[in-house]
Amino acid sequence: MIYKNIVCTLCGCLCDDIEVVTEGERIADVKNACEFSRSKFLNHAKDRAKHLIKKNGKLVEVPIEEALGEAAEILKKADFPLIYGLSSTETDAQRMAVELAELIGASIDNTTSVCHGPTIQAVQDCGAAKCTLGEVRNRADLVIFWGCNPAEAHIRHATRYSITPRGLYTESGRKGREIVHVDVRETKTSKMADIFVKVKPGRDYELLSAFRAAVKGYDVGDVAGVPSETITQLVEKMKSCKFGVIFFGLGLTMTGAKHMNVDAALRLVRDLNDHTKFTINPMRGHGNVSGSNDVMTWCTGYPFAVNFSKGYPVYNPGEFSAVDILARRECDAALIIASDPVAHFPAQASEHLVRIPTIVIDPKINLTSLIAKIVIPSAIAGIECDGTAYRMDGIPLRLKKVIDSEFLPDREILKKIIERVKA
Amino acid sequence: MNYMKVILISGRTTKQGISLEMGKTSEEYSNNVAVIMMNENDMKKIGAKEDEHVEVRTKFGSAVVRCKESRIDRGIAFMPYGPWANMMISADTQGTGMPDYKGVEAKISATDKDVLTIANVIERIKEIK
Ligand code: SF4
Repeated sequence: MIYKNIVCTLCGCLCDDIEVVTEGERIADVKNACEFSRSKFLNHAKDRAKHLIKKNGKLVEVPIEEALGEAAEILKKADFPLIYGLSSTETDAQRMAVELAELIGASIDNTTSVCHGPTIQAVQDCGAAKCTLGEVRNRADLVIFWGCNPAEAHIRHATRYSITPRGLYTESGRKGREIVHVDVRETKTSKMADIFVKVKPGRDYELLSAFRAAVKGYDVGDVAGVPSETITQLVEKMKSCKFGVIFFGLGLTMTGAKHMNVDAALRLVRDLNDHTKFTINPMRGHGNVSGSNDVMTWCTGYPFAVNFSKGYPVYNPGEFSAVDILARRECDAALIIASDPVAHFPAQASEHLVRIPTIVIDPKINLTSLIAKIVIPSAIAGIECDGTAYRMDGIPLRLKKVIDSEFLPDREILKKIIERVKA
Repeated sequence: MNYMKVILISGRTTKQGISLEMGKTSEEYSNNVAVIMMNENDMKKIGAKEDEHVEVRTKFGSAVVRCKESRIDRGIAFMPYGPWANMMISADTQGTGMPDYKGVEAKISATDKDVLTIANVIERIKEIK
């Protein structure tokens, strides 16, 4: 079978032009995909998890009913459970996770807290002039990548949306676009750019503020390792372009000033709109991390780091975000779904997951499942089950199923756990 | 011991991304993620050659990884996201929810010690007091 226009759910680009060729129960070929995506589709059956429970210090295989029952028991008994993950699954599963959190009075957080959490905090502070990737493709003549590396993290972003495609008002493709890369080190993305600006590590806030001052006509001198002439030259380009866009990544959210870095970038773009049309977009990482914010917002009012212990949702990053809850050793049980905190959290935070009963729902064996009390395997959203995912610019796309799976989708697993908790 | 101070940054690499999908317990994953990228002059300074082992230490922890020459400024070193970099990062988010994944002060020195395997990393996490 050949399936056309399949959505790849690996990164926030959610490319929706993938062609998947199946032969019986296996994926034989993938077209239009980048290296990550090929690896994901072709290796989907590798390294799959089993239903496991830790008994006498060892994970042993159990029937699904036992794993679900035990998981429900743990969550029911816990005084301060944590539900975390949600970025690599589809929106129905995300919604069920919120329902479960409300039912058991849990804290619920998604991987946003360790990627673009600071971005959301900044947007809540001062708003953002965003646009869709389609608008970038059809209109943008100045594209600035700041603290991100799409050439290695969002591989097809350049060809589908931001650098080479020809669109309605961008008929000349690459030639008609000026590309700028601002980062602390030269990467493959710098090679795709016309101008590379090297900023000193941790000094983005200063540089962004200098740009804002320069836009207002001040002479700012050399800032954060960037010569005054470069700043003046770039500000001229920003003010005179027809449609500018800044794409920014974790280089802003993960360093020193965090949300204040993003705040400065959002305000720079706001200032630039006095001169021309300018927009700004975060480079969201995991396939449906953007959806986890949307789903949590429409269900609870808040995008991440929400606590239900009072029976109603309370939002506070730093207090109810997963790394903090774990580092303070507050939770007494954890349900990790569609993410791998042991691979991504500071070791000091992961350590608490070893001490408490941790339940992992994931298609694959991951590092968190190695320390879990219960492992429940699931179908891969967008390959083995359908659903909806949100692209990095907030556009929802429908995921299709291309191959049958012996495993249940995340949403079904959560539904069964909810039934058992209620029973 | 010859060590040097650097600013440690962690981030995504293509190899890390692809090997993620091969499985995190695979050898490819360790080979591609348990590495640190440094400026060639910094490598000379600590007496480490391509693919030799170095110990990276911060206030929060340490790990042994292989070093690789890269076009990066002196005084900066880069590690792919993953459990080895995580050993070096503080869980204190200063009330933001976000740890300082990029921009931690670290000391790097050449070493004869083995690179930690995934199993070692898990053991180390279990031992944290
Ligand atoms: S760029 Fe991202 S969404 Fe597109 S094919 Fe590659 S991994 Fe998938």
